Amino acid sequence: MSGSYGTFSTKQEEKRKRTVPDRELIRRVYQYAEAHRRNFIIGVGATIAGALTGLAAPYMHAIAIDNIIQPKNLSGFIWWIPLFAVIILSNYFFQYVQTYQMRIIGERVVAKMRDDMMQKLQVISLKYFSEGEMGRIISRPTNDANTVRIFLRLGLTSIVVDISSILGSFIIMFFLDFQLALLAISILPVAIILVWFLGKYSRAAYRRTLITTSGLTARMQEDLAGIKVTQAYAQEEEARKKFMKSQNENVKATNRAILIGSSYTPFVIGLRLIGTMIILFYGVAAAVNGAIQIGILVAFIEYQFSYFMPLVDLVSMYDQYQSAMSAIERMFDVIDTKVEVLDASPERSMVLK
Amino acid sequence: MLFENVYIDSEGFPYAKITMSISKPLLDYAKSLKPQKGYAQSFSAFRRLMRYHRRYYWFIAAIVILAVVRSILFSLEPLYTTRIIVNVIGPPTDTSLLVGYLLVILLAGIGYAISNFVLIYVHGVMSQYIVRDIRTDYYCSLQGKSFSFYDSKGVGDLTSRATVDLQLVDAFLRTWFGTVLNAVFTTIIIIVIIYPISPIMTLISMATMPLIFYFTARLWVDTMPLFRNMLLILGRLSSYIQQNIIGMKTVRIFRREKDVVDGFKDVEDVFVNTAIKAGKIQSIYMPLGPAILTLGIAFVYVYAGYTLGIPRSALAIAQVGNMILFARYMMRLTFPIRDASQTLGTWIAAYAGLERVFEITDTPRAVEDLPDARDIRIQEGKLEFENVTFGYVEDRPVLNNLTFTVQPGEKIAILGATGSGKSSVIYLVPRFYDIQGGSIKIDGEDIREFKLDSLRRQIGVVLQDVFLFSGTIKENIAFGKPDASMEEIVQAAKSARIHDFIESLPSGYDTPVGERGVTLSGGQKQRITIARALITNPRILIMDDSLSFVDAKTEQEIQSAIEEVTKTRTTLIIAQRFSTIKTAEKILVLENGSVAEFGSHEELMANNGVYKKVYETQFVQKASPILEEAGAI
Repeated sequence: MSGSYGTFSTKQEEKRKRTVPDRELIRRVYQYAEAHRRNFIIGVGATIAGALTGLAAPYMHAIAIDNIIQPKNLSGFIWWIPLFAVIILSNYFFQYVQTYQMRIIGERVVAKMRDDMMQKLQVISLKYFSEGEMGRIISRPTNDANTVRIFLRLGLTSIVVDISSILGSFIIMFFLDFQLALLAISILPVAIILVWFLGKYSRAAYRRTLITTSGLTARMQEDLAGIKVTQAYAQEEEARKKFMKSQNENVKATNRAILIGSSYTPFVIGLRLIGTMIILFYGVAAAVNGAIQIGILVAFIEYQFSYFMPLVDLVSMYDQYQSAMSAIERMFDVIDTKVEVLDASPERSMVLK
Repeated sequence: MLFENVYIDSEGFPYAKITMSISKPLLDYAKSLKPQKGYAQSFSAFRRLMRYHRRYYWFIAAIVILAVVRSILFSLEPLYTTRIIVNVIGPPTDTSLLVGYLLVILLAGIGYAISNFVLIYVHGVMSQYIVRDIRTDYYCSLQGKSFSFYDSKGVGDLTSRATVDLQLVDAFLRTWFGTVLNAVFTTIIIIVIIYPISPIMTLISMATMPLIFYFTARLWVDTMPLFRNMLLILGRLSSYIQQNIIGMKTVRIFRREKDVVDGFKDVEDVFVNTAIKAGKIQSIYMPLGPAILTLGIAFVYVYAGYTLGIPRSALAIAQVGNMILFARYMMRLTFPIRDASQTLGTWIAAYAGLERVFEITDTPRAVEDLPDARDIRIQEGKLEFENVTFGYVEDRPVLNNLTFTVQPGEKIAILGATGSGKSSVIYLVPRFYDIQGGSIKIDGEDIREFKLDSLRRQIGVVLQDVFLFSGTIKENIAFGKPDASMEEIVQAAKSARIHDFIESLPSGYDTPVGERGVTLSGGQKQRITIARALITNPRILIMDDSLSFVDAKTEQEIQSAIEEVTKTRTTLIIAQRFSTIKTAEKILVLENGSVAEFGSHEELMANNGVYKKVYETQFVQKASPILEEAGAI
């Protein structure tokens, strides 16, 4: 929060092309996570188990409705209630384990990377610290590290949860009713294309706001650096006008980005609605024929809900993922810097006489 | 903080008085952060944020209406799905109703999508306006801060409060109101729909709500202090890293690399442990609400199962339909509840950001206009200091009973050791600071009688720091008088002996300077700032000519510029060079904030006091390299 990090990062830094492939970066971050292998395995296991138990819940509802309540076969509650409770509680427990373990790994990995950077910074050549480069170096153990921290804490977990929910929904839907499942996922290709396309559009708008924000930052920085001059010449009013102008530009650009960014939610909701329509239309016909039971029909609507949301979530995560990868690359850039002047080993150090 | 123990010894070498670990203060700070319960402060910051909403009551009204509409439309799909189950599938089966019901679901869905979209947009726009207003207040308050404020605060830090910290506030403002309304309205509307259907099932399904509220509150109460501490430590860590990088040379010279890294690790450990602790609490409470709500569904099923009529009868299917409705509403409720508890999380971060912004906004202005201040025209430019007492801190005076008079048009050079109060004397004239005792008068009027604007516009100031704004040279010279004519600008540049240089540039006066402009030497910059001071043709000129390390040619150029511009103006100049000092009518020698000597060069030389001593040592020191070069030594 403090210090001037965030204010130095130049536009070039944002635009710089990535050179190291994602796979390589992930492999290297994983090496850091290796030290916490136990947490990692527990965390990933809990994530998958959490997603599966989460998906089992709608099915349990279907069983209760179709096999216990409707036929008034109430003795079924004897096994259903404990099983339902176990599934819900274990789902809760897995979620707890997963978020907690991921948090531990995320914090420790980033801390270690930051330590390594700090250690490296103490030994690399001083020419690295030339003026103009300062801001960029500072932003690596601060800004970049924080981006990665937040990504590992929230983003990575979401990605794992989302993917396992989507896959899990598909598996269960096909297991419940093959035909209805096909119908339910028929809108998937359209959804993916639409979400991807609109997501790309909104990302571009978002990036534009970053540029106006950096303009505002630059204006503020300069105004403050020259504040003594402004005060000495009583030009506060003039400066304020200019500042307001660049603020209003920023507001305008951001409002536009919000408009574009939120404009894809109605499409997504609309598409989900079409999915629900299809399920209801064909599902009702099947239910009237006695081909499927009511509980299954309701479960389908819920499953459709539970694969659509993660899909949207995944797309919105794409930006976070990209910026985390760039940040990771920059961090390794510091860690990998070659040391030119190495200290002589202690036993060889001399005392000047 | 990192290098405050570095001193320069008598031979000009730095040495360090190191008594403790570099990072110890930081570590102590991190450990001293008790998980204090800052609800009261948080609440008052929230109220203050609410006051910023007041101007946008139309937005608030729109959000409330949209939120109600959205919640109603959100609840229609489960309701009509139940009707389909009961009335279409049956028994009795009646497929003629299906299309109508589907249409309702479709229209409700489209309405929901649109109202949701408009709500997000309106909310976001309101957030932008509010953040803008907060930032404007912050900016305006910064304009009134004193020089000493800026000497103690970094530009980077002040900027990041207006950007990084306000981004956190923005993140909260964009959704908070809609999210809270969503949780409240959705709950109310669902209760309104289900209560007439079955009061008992409503009670059963809502029985777990108090528990959920309790755990959400616990989540907040337990994690808020921890998150606050994390943000505070992270801020300190960042500035620690920043200082280390900026001061890397010093770190290397003193071989403090290991201390820096070890100290850093200690503080980072405190951070990581706090983060993990907060993470644990969060992991326990966050998924608890949805789990409890879902478990509650089992009770609804059991109740419905035992009260069910004859299986497969029309009554039974209606009962089953209603039960499904209850169950699905409970599942749907988990989303607004989860969003609401996430909003609490964004509030914690926003609160930390707000605190840092308000901290600056609330620092009082250093200098204000008196209620009866006037626009006064300076005619002569006579300047009087009478028993002036001044200190940056109330009871540590820098200037003591300082009295002297400058006649109109006179040039006074001020001389003194570091800390003798030289800068303070010249900064008091345009009221960059207010004095604590005595008075300063211009043409017999106390400077506090002047309106601040009117006073400062009539005094030309050349600061030690030669700051140029990004823009053209022309704009920089005309800074104090944006409507100045080209002749006036050229005249000022000629007087400042910089005109010829500007003309030699390819774009002349339109050459851009500042961060993205041409690189100017210190001497060129200083002469532009002198031209800038002359544009208003001030009667009084104050100059801090402490520019050291310039080459002989530059020195000569600056010298000649100063001589030219001070001819007819009342001038106070802090001078390092004896060549400048000698051209002054009078010399004021300061010692510990009092006048040690005051008079012309000849008078003071005859006086045989401090001035003579300084003159002789400095003249010899200055002379030696020249003599050496000439082969004299």
